[in-house]
Amino acid sequence: MNCQLCQEKSDAYFGGMLPPDMRIQVEDHLVKCSGCAEIYRIEAVAMKVIGEEKKILPNPFLATRIMTRIESAEAAEALTTTSLKGIVRPALMTLSLAAAIFLGVVLGNIYNDSPESVHTIPVELSLMDDAAIESIDALSTE
Amino acid sequence: MNDAEIIKQILGGNKDSFRFLVERYQEMIFRTCMGFVHNREDAEDLTQEVFINAYRSLSGFKGEASFATWIYRIAVNASLNRVRKPAVPYVLQRIGHLFLGENEREWDLPDFDADDPESQIIRQEHADWIRNALDSLPGKQRTAIVLSRYEDLPQKRIAEIMGTTEGAVESLLQRAKANLRKKLSSYPKKNKNQRRKK
Repeated sequence: MNCQLCQEKSDAYFGGMLPPDMRIQVEDHLVKCSGCAEIYRIEAVAMKVIGEEKKILPNPFLATRIMTRIESAEAAEALTTTSLKGIVRPALMTLSLAAAIFLGVVLGNIYNDSPESVHTIPVELSLMDDAAIESIDALSTE
Repeated sequence: MNDAEIIKQILGGNKDSFRFLVERYQEMIFRTCMGFVHNREDAEDLTQEVFINAYRSLSGFKGEASFATWIYRIAVNASLNRVRKPAVPYVLQRIGHLFLGENEREWDLPDFDADDPESQIIRQEHADWIRNALDSLPGKQRTAIVLSRYEDLPQKRIAEIMGTTEGAVESLLQRAKANLRKKLSSYPKKNKNQRRKK
């Protein structure tokens, strides 16, 4: 057995999945090769450490804690939505009322500012102007 | 009751049914999170975060993958986010350890054979070194090795969770192992030499 094959078989070796003859070959190689023996030693320690971490179980009340947090989060969201509705609706109504008043004022100003309505005299009114028909000079010479 | 039926119930308004999913998958998610943070409190905190995220986005679960695969993905993403940005900055963690003492981390002591103080110290140092080496791996290699070693998942399943091919997972695992060997091989000798000098 060479070093490459020995190192490739490490997972199967530690997983107990090597056939007995292959296992013997690996172990024979490990006795002769200090490099591979070092790699196997490190992997054994790493697997031991990981194995110890895997044994740790979560708190038995973890599920209850999770459900409590979900319920609290939902309650907080519901409260926020309700309070937002209570603020947003009157605010929108006030804003739309103010906008309507502003629009009315603007439209009114546009009507008053029309140049035709201020500077031109309707034809009927000009015809009613007596002075335009009879001049003062004519009256004074009579 | 299977996962699909439970999810249907939850989406139908029976929110308490989510507890069944939590109870069914909490240990699996906790172990995965442990693989990233190596600390019981942080892993429990992360597990809670994972289930809350899953609950919130449950309406987006289309059932294309199994619920287990879907929640694994959430767990991996949450864990990677956590280890990129630790909840407590490293400096504060070290200050905390100074005040609390290292013995607060009772799970740190692996149950190896010998019980003498020196063996315990060596075991502790090895365990820390191995965790540091795992933590220094790039995100994808780290995810592959955690799912493989902590969850004992087959490569096909890891590929599903990571959204990649089996070949890519095989390659990630090989590179992760090579990196770990490189990082770990220097430590014990160096450590022994330091001890001899003392």
